[in-house]
Amino acid sequence: MKDTNMDSKRVEFDQTHKWNLIVKKYYIYAVLLLIIIVFSVMKLDKVVFFGRGHFLSPASVTNLLRSAVPILTLSGAFTLLMISGNIDLSVGSAMSLNAVVYSFMILNGFNMGVAFFLTLIVGIVCGFINGYLVQKLRITPVIATLVTLSLFKGVALLIVPNGVSAIKGTADKIMPVWINDYARQKVFLDLPVAFFVAVLVIILLIIVQRKTILGKYAAAVGGNRTAAELSGINATQVVWLLYILVGLMAAMAGIARASYMSMGNPLSGDGMELDNIIAVLLGGTAFTGGEGSVAKTVVGALIIMCVTTGMMTVVPPYWQLVVKGSVLILAVALNTTLVKVRVEA
Amino acid sequence: MENKTGYIKRAVSSMSNETFISLFMISVLIIFFGIACAIVPNFYLPMNILNLIMNYWYIILLGIGVTFLLVTGNFDMSVGGVIAMTGVLAVYFSQSAEVLKNPLAVGLGLPYGVALALALLCALAAGGVNAFFIVKLKVPSIIVTLGTMMLARGVAQVVTLGAQRNTSLPDIFGVIGNASIPGTPIKISVVIMAGLVLIAVILEKTTIFGRRTYLIGANKEAARLSGVRVERHLTYLFLASALLAGITGILMASEFKAGISNRATGFEFDALVITLLGGTNINGGFGSVLGTVVGALVLAVVTSVATGMLLSPDWQFVLKGTVTFLAILAQRYALDRRKG
Repeated sequence: MKDTNMDSKRVEFDQTHKWNLIVKKYYIYAVLLLIIIVFSVMKLDKVVFFGRGHFLSPASVTNLLRSAVPILTLSGAFTLLMISGNIDLSVGSAMSLNAVVYSFMILNGFNMGVAFFLTLIVGIVCGFINGYLVQKLRITPVIATLVTLSLFKGVALLIVPNGVSAIKGTADKIMPVWINDYARQKVFLDLPVAFFVAVLVIILLIIVQRKTILGKYAAAVGGNRTAAELSGINATQVVWLLYILVGLMAAMAGIARASYMSMGNPLSGDGMELDNIIAVLLGGTAFTGGEGSVAKTVVGALIIMCVTTGMMTVVPPYWQLVVKGSVLILAVALNTTLVKVRVEA
Repeated sequence: MENKTGYIKRAVSSMSNETFISLFMISVLIIFFGIACAIVPNFYLPMNILNLIMNYWYIILLGIGVTFLLVTGNFDMSVGGVIAMTGVLAVYFSQSAEVLKNPLAVGLGLPYGVALALALLCALAAGGVNAFFIVKLKVPSIIVTLGTMMLARGVAQVVTLGAQRNTSLPDIFGVIGNASIPGTPIKISVVIMAGLVLIAVILEKTTIFGRRTYLIGANKEAARLSGVRVERHLTYLFLASALLAGITGILMASEFKAGISNRATGFEFDALVITLLGGTNINGGFGSVLGTVVGALVLAVVTSVATGMLLSPDWQFVLKGTVTFLAILAQRYALDRRKG
């Protein structure tokens, strides 16, 4: 009698646990779907379904994907870094710096390949510095990357000449038109090369996270650094590599942004770190590290882009910060409740 | 000779880490000040020194709350946003309720005192959100406070429609931020700042509250086991930090007689910088409000030398970043040397 009672309780527990797991696994897709539905229904009295001006019209969807390129490029690497239990608040500044460097080189007559390559190196250096501060000098990630946030931003502002707000074409120096080619020129399905590069990056990083040693090591370091080190993982190397990866992706994102706006704005990456954090938290990555998913972060990034673009059609732009802040707080709340549901529990 | 160095060594090693770092930062300040006097003409004039302190009153005011939090190992990045929000709300609450054509000129028309109290209450609410998520849900403070930073500044932008509110304010609104002690150029804001610093120092050094703060920073678990109500204590600290930001916001709004939505951007970083410059440990455990004041002076000297040398304002980010970085390294180095 007693045993059956226990059994039934256990079944009940397993049932709720199973439900929790399902919710944890799929809620992010449901949220994305819900947001898309809400925004596409919202103005139906004025526009036709899929018609011009509709949230889901081909033009607006490609536009959304095009402007999502920087965050799509960046968020995968950012997720891996957060899985390893670290954070990089300097990504926005690094992105601005790289956008400025790239457009500065293009403006001064470098050809695209060289400029691209050199900018990627700048990005790697940014990541290297962060990794050095965090891993070699053992400064807390938050403080170290706040310092580099200030430094990168400062350097970007210094590169831009006095009196102008961004690196852009002037009367005597014309910005080459082909700077747009990378992030604006439509190559396939009305989308630019940069978008497909971003998709490629995402696919690669999903593979890295799920199938390679680096992904496993990142999770191990984030879960328990001491244990990881004791079992022979070189935690310093892993985390340093991830910082460099984030720096590299910040450079890619910066190039895409510079090419999209055909100028290098030293403030263009401001707030990128927050967008990334929101995307990562929405995607259910534990902020203490140890577990997470690149694929879900990408869905999280799409959610942010949908919300910000969708909101713009409904309310004035000055509502954006309130919305983003609320989404971040909500994401945190959701995250804390869901992370408690462990897969193995 | 040998005896003398031995004596100094013994004196140094008998000091607490905190005293050592404070003395270290004060000597850094003196060295920087000396260099500044050598480079910039008339830098040593008392008027100039007074100006350095008076121009930085708001950062020091914020630094008090941030220092207490950093001692316990927490960050508050929302202070800049809270300043903007409180300032804007104080203006909105006290603007006259007459319906005018310009929506930015119409407020709630509350009496001045009520308006200020309500605005401070909103600041406390922001602190409450911080405390709830950090203390109850155990979310890292950096993430939550970045969220409230956006939220608070967002509220400021919504209330001002992305611009500022500066009309149909009662005359009394501009008094507190602009008045100064009769016969001197010292503003009331500076006096308030000095008073709050004094209270904070007493709280920190002589009360149980202060000792508990250090204990939580040194070892949270040990603090909990020895009966400190860690959660409640941290909640008080977050509320206090938000309240200080609120007071700063009201004083600044009064100084300009306007609620400006993009006011105080980057102040959270400045407050953190001076706290670190003042020798507060990044991992928590020690630090002091007086150290933070010293840190503010170091930053003030550095930035005013930079402007004195006619560097473009674009340099300030690089400068602040470098100075902070050096401060952290110096602190680490000094502590390591002492042990070794």
